[in-house]
Amino acid sequence: MGAKVPRNFRLLEELEKGEKGLGAEACSYGLENGDDLLMSDWNGTILGPPHSVHENRIYSVKIHCGPNYPDVPPEISFTSKINLPCVDQRNGKVDPTKLPCLAQWKREFTMETILIELRRYMAHSANKKLPQPPEGSTY
Amino acid sequence: MALPKRIIKETERLMAEPVKGISAVPHEDNLRYFDVTIDGPGQSPYEGGVFKLELFLPDDYPMTPPKIRFLTKIYHPNIDRLGRICLDVLKSNWSPALQIRTILLSIQALLGAPNPDDPLANDVAQKWKEDEKGAIETARQWTEQYAKP
Repeated sequence: MGAKVPRNFRLLEELEKGEKGLGAEACSYGLENGDDLLMSDWNGTILGPPHSVHENRIYSVKIHCGPNYPDVPPEISFTSKINLPCVDQRNGKVDPTKLPCLAQWKREFTMETILIELRRYMAHSANKKLPQPPEGSTY
Repeated sequence: MALPKRIIKETERLMAEPVKGISAVPHEDNLRYFDVTIDGPGQSPYEGGVFKLELFLPDDYPMTPPKIRFLTKIYHPNIDRLGRICLDVLKSNWSPALQIRTILLSIQALLGAPNPDDPLANDVAQKWKEDEKGAIETARQWTEQYAKP
């Protein structure tokens, strides 16, 4: 086992990867406020997967990394309205028990891991044809 | 995982012979992660301030430099809004012969000698070049507001 990277340096690594666009093309993320020294609040976007009702839609999410991140997963909520079994329809919050990467969180996982998994979840055969709220509506 | 001898030695020496105006204390649960404070150097707009930083020694230290950033807000052309530092010895001019101690001294020296020609915070550097007096005054105010112990 290697050195345990502390929260803030881990978040700086994620920030740099996000800024350079080194991550997956269909997802992006960045700090909500560029001078938040605590780096707690992030905005993410997910491009709807092809061959699904989500195709060509862009979904916005908010990510909150608490003081114990990455030992515990961040909190995720959709800003864009979306009909998915793991999303609370009242407020857009992602239920961590219903998304495998959150339910079985590992320290090596990143915000990108979650965004990619959410996108895969949207494309899942059980979810890809669910009726969706009008494009552009928000919680 | 056992801590490399090099890191143990450096830590011991930092404790036994501390540098004036600088402290570095490892976290009990992560001996590669240090809480650092640096006193603002005299005759600089940072004088009288105590600046908090955090320092982490990655797996391949000392082949790669320590990671370090300011936790106290600071107005300086080579330090950005997230406290990241632009300093040659933390990047291309790093050498395994350097140590935590020398890096912290270099950062303290950087506070005394801002270099707006090699900026990390572009808006601050521009202000520094156009209106040095005003920039220094802002740096002094920020020290007063954010760095007073």
